[in-house]
Amino acid sequence: MLSLDFLDDVRRMNKRQLYYQVLNFGMIVSSALMIWKGLMVLTGSESPIVVVLSGSMEPAFHRGDLLFLTNRVEDLIRVGEIVVFRIEGREIPIVHRVLKIHEKENGEIKFLTKGDNNSVDDRGLYKPGQHWLEKKDVVGRARGFVPYIGIVTILMNDYPKFKYAVLFLLGLFVLVHRE
Amino acid sequence: MAARNGKNGLLEKWRIDEKPVKIDKWDGAAVKNSLDDAAKKVLLEKYGYAENFNLVDGRLLICTISCLFAIVALIWDFLHPFPESKPVLAICVISYFIMMGFLTLYTSYQEKNIFLVSVQKDPAGMDLNHTWQLSSSLKRFDDQYTLRVSFTDGKSKHTREQEITKSVGAFFDGNGTLVMDQFEKCVSKLHNTLATEKKTK
Repeated sequence: MLSLDFLDDVRRMNKRQLYYQVLNFGMIVSSALMIWKGLMVLTGSESPIVVVLSGSMEPAFHRGDLLFLTNRVEDLIRVGEIVVFRIEGREIPIVHRVLKIHEKENGEIKFLTKGDNNSVDDRGLYKPGQHWLEKKDVVGRARGFVPYIGIVTILMNDYPKFKYAVLFLLGLFVLVHRE
Repeated sequence: MAARNGKNGLLEKWRIDEKPVKIDKWDGAAVKNSLDDAAKKVLLEKYGYAENFNLVDGRLLICTISCLFAIVALIWDFLHPFPESKPVLAICVISYFIMMGFLTLYTSYQEKNIFLVSVQKDPAGMDLNHTWQLSSSLKRFDDQYTLRVSFTDGKSKHTREQEITKSVGAFFDGNGTLVMDQFEKCVSKLHNTLATEKKTK
């Protein structure tokens, strides 16, 4: 067996202690998960925190800004307001401003969006044949933001190996270290 | 050793019970953990008491239930995408944090600093068993380690405690290796003081 000294502590553990180390790791993951799901329930949005990925909303939002969203029924969508939406079939949420709205008497709406920094509206981004967005495509409305912090998320997505390395090291540390 | 079967054999080879304990002497948590483990060893091996796992099992159970709530939330949300899963998610999240609250209460009030509950079985099998408990404390960045031994008489349910506080420097050499002899002497003295008190009563 490799004589890795830092594993000595682990080797001296009995079954219960080993199980507790695994549980510890599980609890940390669970806590993060529960906080995220809790935010989802509280805000009503399926993605309560998003990162701005492009510069299409400058100077309002820059690449790397972190946005906090809510998606309550009372959040009315009006022309000129910023919404975060997802195009059917695509995973990435987009943060743009509402340009035009068609509204039916019963409150159903169809709306068109455009990024402040873009020269054309978003029809080119929508699904082929889709000309308008609907309420169901909306992920939420931005209620607050923190600048620059999202750069870490962008880095992790651009360099997945870096992300896996960091997660692996963190996981190893939690599993081996005794409180 | 030869009697253990193959599966246990691999785990046994990996475990290093006999190697002297060497830790980073500046890591307070590691120091306390190794002293606690050594004290446990003395009580369990030298005096042959049987460890009672109920306290630890309680904690493990609470943690396991919490993780189960999280797993249920994860799977349910995966099977029934977001807006429909809201009520189930809400229940799981609230239950999870209630379990966290339980855990904190449990560790603070039930476990306190106890790291060993052991039972001294009466050799004749006639009288009730006595309970020996070990607890310890070591403040952050401090070198004073306090070990508390408590003895609960099986019949009278009367509890007696004895504690000593010593600098950890008395038990570790310059390299961070635990000097088992010194520590064992200390623990045994503590144990015997309580044991003799028992006999004179």
